[in-house]
Amino acid sequence: MDLLGLADNLISGVLLGGILALAALGLSIALGVMRLVNLAHGEILVGGAYLGFYLLSITGLDPLLALPLIGLLMALLVYPLHRLLLAPLGAQGPEAPMMTMFGVSIILQNAMLLLFSADTRSIDRPYAATPLQIGALSVPLIYALGFAISVVLIIAVHLLITRTRFGREMRASAADPRAAAAHGVNVRGIHALSFALGAGCAAMGGTLIGIAFSFSPSSGASYLLSGFAIVVLGGLGNIFATLVAGVALGLLQSLGGALFGDGYRELVGLLLFLLVLAVRPQGLLAGRGA
Amino acid sequence: MSAAPREAAGPLLSVSGLSKHYGGVRAIDELAFSLPRGAVLGIIGPNGAGKSTLIGLLGGALRASAGTIQFDGADVTREPAAERARLGIGRTYQIPRPFLELSVRENLLAGQYALQPLIARRQAIAASDAILERCGLADVADLPARALPLLRRKRLELARALALRPRLLLLDEVGAGLVDSEVGELITLIQALAGELEGLIIIEHVLRVVRECCAQLMVVNFGRKLAEGATHEVLASEQVAAVYLGTAHAGAVTGAAAPAAGTLGGLVAAGPEPAVANAAPLLELRGLHAGYGLARVLNGVNLTVHAGQAVAILGTNGAGKSTLAGVISGLIRPSAGELRIDGVDRTGTAPHLIARLGFAQCMEGRRIFAPLSVEENLLLAAGRVGRSERQQRLDQVYQLFPVLRERRTQGGTSMSGGQQQMLAIARALMSRPRLIVFDEISLGLAPLVMDQLYAALAALRAAGLTLLIVEQDVQRALDLADEVHVMEHGRIALSGTAAQVRENPVLRHLYIGTAD
Amino acid sequence: MGPASISAAASAPPRAPPGFALSLALLIAFAALALLSGWAGDYVLELGFRLLVLMTLAEAWNLLAGYGGLVSLGTASFVGLGAYALVGAMNRGVPLALAWAAAGIAAALLALLVSRAVFRLRGLYFTVGTLALAEALRLFMVNYQPFGGAIGLFLSPDAPSLRGLFLLALGLFAVATLLMQLATDSRYSILLRAVRDDEDAAAQIGVRPFRIKLLAFVVASLLMGLAGALQGLKLGAVEPYGMFGLQWTVNVLAIVVIGGQGQRLAALIGALFVVSLGEVLAAYPALHLAITGVILILVIRFAPQGLAGWVVLLWRRLHHGSQR
Repeated sequence: MDLLGLADNLISGVLLGGILALAALGLSIALGVMRLVNLAHGEILVGGAYLGFYLLSITGLDPLLALPLIGLLMALLVYPLHRLLLAPLGAQGPEAPMMTMFGVSIILQNAMLLLFSADTRSIDRPYAATPLQIGALSVPLIYALGFAISVVLIIAVHLLITRTRFGREMRASAADPRAAAAHGVNVRGIHALSFALGAGCAAMGGTLIGIAFSFSPSSGASYLLSGFAIVVLGGLGNIFATLVAGVALGLLQSLGGALFGDGYRELVGLLLFLLVLAVRPQGLLAGRGA
Repeated sequence: MSAAPREAAGPLLSVSGLSKHYGGVRAIDELAFSLPRGAVLGIIGPNGAGKSTLIGLLGGALRASAGTIQFDGADVTREPAAERARLGIGRTYQIPRPFLELSVRENLLAGQYALQPLIARRQAIAASDAILERCGLADVADLPARALPLLRRKRLELARALALRPRLLLLDEVGAGLVDSEVGELITLIQALAGELEGLIIIEHVLRVVRECCAQLMVVNFGRKLAEGATHEVLASEQVAAVYLGTAHAGAVTGAAAPAAGTLGGLVAAGPEPAVANAAPLLELRGLHAGYGLARVLNGVNLTVHAGQAVAILGTNGAGKSTLAGVISGLIRPSAGELRIDGVDRTGTAPHLIARLGFAQCMEGRRIFAPLSVEENLLLAAGRVGRSERQQRLDQVYQLFPVLRERRTQGGTSMSGGQQQMLAIARALMSRPRLIVFDEISLGLAPLVMDQLYAALAALRAAGLTLLIVEQDVQRALDLADEVHVMEHGRIALSGTAAQVRENPVLRHLYIGTAD
Repeated sequence: MGPASISAAASAPPRAPPGFALSLALLIAFAALALLSGWAGDYVLELGFRLLVLMTLAEAWNLLAGYGGLVSLGTASFVGLGAYALVGAMNRGVPLALAWAAAGIAAALLALLVSRAVFRLRGLYFTVGTLALAEALRLFMVNYQPFGGAIGLFLSPDAPSLRGLFLLALGLFAVATLLMQLATDSRYSILLRAVRDDEDAAAQIGVRPFRIKLLAFVVASLLMGLAGALQGLKLGAVEPYGMFGLQWTVNVLAIVVIGGQGQRLAALIGALFVVSLGEVLAAYPALHLAITGVILILVIRFAPQGLAGWVVLLWRRLHHGSQR
C-alpha cells in the first residue's frame, strides 16, 4: 500500500472517529448520568439511520439538513420508554435496567427486521461518494462533512452540560441522586431527558453512518461495542475525551484494516478496547469525579 | 486469641516514611511511628487529617506511595489486604460494610472459612457464635445483615474483624454516632479486647474513648504527625488544643466570630405576617410511622414546628432521628401518618417538590456533589431564579462563609470536612428556604469547627430562619434551641423548652443510664 | 435484579425445599429419563437435548451471575470455543471422550487466560468486557482462515445417535446440577457471596477475591465449553455466526431472568418456558425473539425474582405459621 493511500486511509479513520464519537456520546450520557448500560444503543443508532432513510424517501428532505430533526424525533420516541420501562425499576440495582434494555434491543432489532426486511441499505446522497481533494490527499466528502457536524454537535452538548442549569442538575443527579432530589432537582425528569438526549445523539450519529456506509437491522451490535470502546477509552464525565477517544478508535481501526485486511478493522478496535479495559478501566482520560 | 503478648524483640508494628499521594494532594506525609506489643494507641486529629487513609494503608486497602510498614518484623508494605488479614491484621470500617445478603453468622463464617478452609463446620459455627455472643449479636445470628440498624452493624463490623483472631486490630471511629451509654459499653468491650490482642490502634473523635482506652496517643494533622506521647499529656498540650480541640472544651459557644445578622437578610424567606395569628404551623407530623423493609424505625411521631423556631431533635442512636429527617425531606416514605406543610397534607410528596415548598436540607454526611465545583453546588440549589437574584444570594452566602469564595472554582469535595459542612449550609441557604433541617452536622468534626458552625446557626436563627436540628451533641443543641424533643424507640419521649429538658432527669436517664 | 432482589432466597436459613432432597429427587428423575429415552421418539429426544444443553448453560451462568455477582454477556465465547475444539480434535482422530474433555479444558483455559484482565473490571465494566470478548472471538473466527473462516469446520467422523447425544446431554446436566449444588450449599458459597456483596470488605477479612471469582469463572466456562461441544457434535458442523453468536447469550439470559436469578430451579423453569415458546413460534423466528424480549422486560419489571422466585415465596408463605 502506497504511503499516500495509507494517509488517505488514516485520515478517513480520524474523520470517521468523530462520527463514532457523536454516536458514543449517547452511551456515555446514559452511563454517566443514570448508571445505565444501554444495550439498545446500537439499535437506536441503526434506527436513526432508518429514520433518515425514510425521511428522505418520503419527504425528500436531505438527512444532513434534517439531522437535528432526526435527533429530536428519536428523542421524542424514546422519552416515554424511560418512564414506562426504566423508572419503575428504581430499587432493583443496576442490572435490571441493563437487562431491560437488552430486551428492548432484541425487540427493536427484530421489529426492524419485520418492518424493513434484512436487506442492507444505505442512504444515497450525491456527496456520499464524492471525494474531497486537499492537495494530494483524498477522502470521501461525507467523512469530512460528518466530522465537522459531529464536532459542532459535540461542542453543543458539552456547553449544555457545563453551562446550563440542566447540565448542573444532570451532573448532580449522576453523582448523588438522593441529595440532588433533596435540593430541588427532579431527578426522574432529568434521567428521562438525559436518556432522550443520549438517544438523539445516537440517532444523529446513526444517520451520518447510514450515509457514509450501509446498515441493516443487525448492524447495531458492532456500533454498541465501538461505542463502549470509546466510552471506556475516554472515561466518563468528559465530553472532549470522548471525542479524542473516538478519533483514536477510528484511527486504529483504519490502521488495523490497512495492515491486516478489511475484515480485521473492528477486531483491532475490540482488542484495543479489551486492552484498555485491562489496564485502566476508568478510562485513559478520566475526568474529575468520574 | 488469648496468647499473652510475646516477649519477642521489636515492636508489633513499625511504620516509617509512610506517604500516600493522590495527584498533588498528600493525604499522608512521611508518617512514622511504632506500636509496642500489648499497647493500645489512639490516633486523633482534625477532619481531613488523613486518619482513615492511614487505616486504609495499614490494613492494605490502600497502597502506599512511599515508606514501609513492618508487622512483627516482616515487611508487609506490598502485601494486599487479604494477605495482611491472614497475617493477623484486622480492621473495621468507619461506615460499616457488612455482607448485606449474608446472615450475621455467615458474615463471620466467611472469615473463618477464608483462613481455615478445612475447619469443621460445627467448630466454625461454635466459634462464630461465641464472638456474636460477646458482641451482643447472638439474638440476630440468623438474620440477613441487611436487616440490622446502624448500631448493630457497627457491632457486626467489630465481630467480623474478631472472627479473624487478629493479632493487631485497627478500629476506625467506632465511637461515632453513639451516645454516652453506648460509648460506655463500647469502652468496656475495647478494654476487654485490649488484654487479648497483641496490639490495638484506635482512631477516634470521641475523646472519652481515647481517654479511657488508650495509654498512648498520636495526633495527626494534614497527614503528618503533630504530637505523640502519653494520653493525658497530649490532650493537655496547648499546640494540640489550638489545632484540634479548640476553645470549646466546655461546650460554650464563645470565641468564634459570629457573622452579622444583617448579612443574612436576603437569604431567609420572610415568615408569615405577624398579623395572621392562627397561621397553620410550618411543619406538622401526625402519627408518623416509617421504616426500612423489615425494620420499623418510627412508631408514631407527633411534632409541630412553627415559623421562626429553633427546634432540636435529640436521641440515642437508633431512636429514629435520621429517619425522621429523611421523612421530612421526602426521601423516605412514611408507612402511616401525615406530613403537613402549612396545614396542607404533603405525605408522600416527592423530595424535589418539598424542597420547592421552602424546606432545605443539610443532609447527614454533607453529600456535596463531587463533580461540581463549589460555586456550581451553590448555584444548583438556587433553582429556577433569575440571574441577578442568584448572584445576590451567592454574594450573601460568600459573605457568610468567605472561605467558599476563595475556593469557588474548586471541586466541591476537595475541601476539609468543616469547610464542606459550611458549603452544605450555604447550599441550603441558596434556595432561600423557610426552614432548614440540619442532620447531624457535627459528626466527625473537630470542636473548633463546630464552634464556627454553631455561631453561623445562631446568626441564621436571629435572622428569622426556622431551624430543625437533629443532633448527637446534646450540649450545643440545648444552647441553641428554643424547643427540644428527645426521641426514643421511634417516638418522642420528652419535649419541652431547652431549659426544661436540660433539668429533666429523664434526659440523663435516656443518655447515660440504660435505655428502657 | 441484583443482590437486593435475591436476598431472601440466596442467604436465608434453609426453609426452602432442602437441597439434599432436591438433589435426590433430581437424581431419580435423571435415571428415569435415561431409561425412558429408549422408547422416546426423535422429536422428544431433540427437544430434550435442546432443553438439557440450555439448562446446563443456564446453571453455569447462574453460578457466575446470580451467586457470584458476575453478570457475563460472553457466554458465546466459551460455547463456541468448546464446539470448535471438539470438532477440531475429532477431525484429527481424537476419540469422542477425549475430544469432549479437551473442549471443556479449552474453555476453562480461555477463562483462565482472560481472568486477570477481566476481573480488574468491576460491575458494569465486567459485563461489557465479556460482551466485547465474545464479539472479538467471533470476528476473529470469521476472518481467520485456518479455522475455517466464515464457512467454519465440518465434522468428519460420525456423530453418535440422537439417543446417544441425549444421554450425553443428560449426563452433562446431571454433573452441572451436582456442581451447582456443591457450589451453592457449601462454605464456598459463603465465600463467593461475600465477594459478591463487598469485594474489598471480603479481602479485608482474609478472603482472596480473585481466586474465589476465578473458581466460579473456570467451572462455569468448563460447563459452557462442554455444552457447546455437544451442540457442535450434534450439528456436525461449526461456523462463527452460529457458535459465537449473540443468541447463546440472549437465550441463556432469558432463561435465567425468567426462571429467577440466584434460584436453584431457575434453569429448569426458565428453559422449559423459553423452549416451549420457541416451539410454538418456530415458524416465526423474528417474532419469537421479539416476544422473548417483551417477556424479559415484563419479568424484570413485575417479577424480578423470576418464576422460581415466585415459587419460593409461595413456599415461604405457606410455611409462615411454622416460623419463629
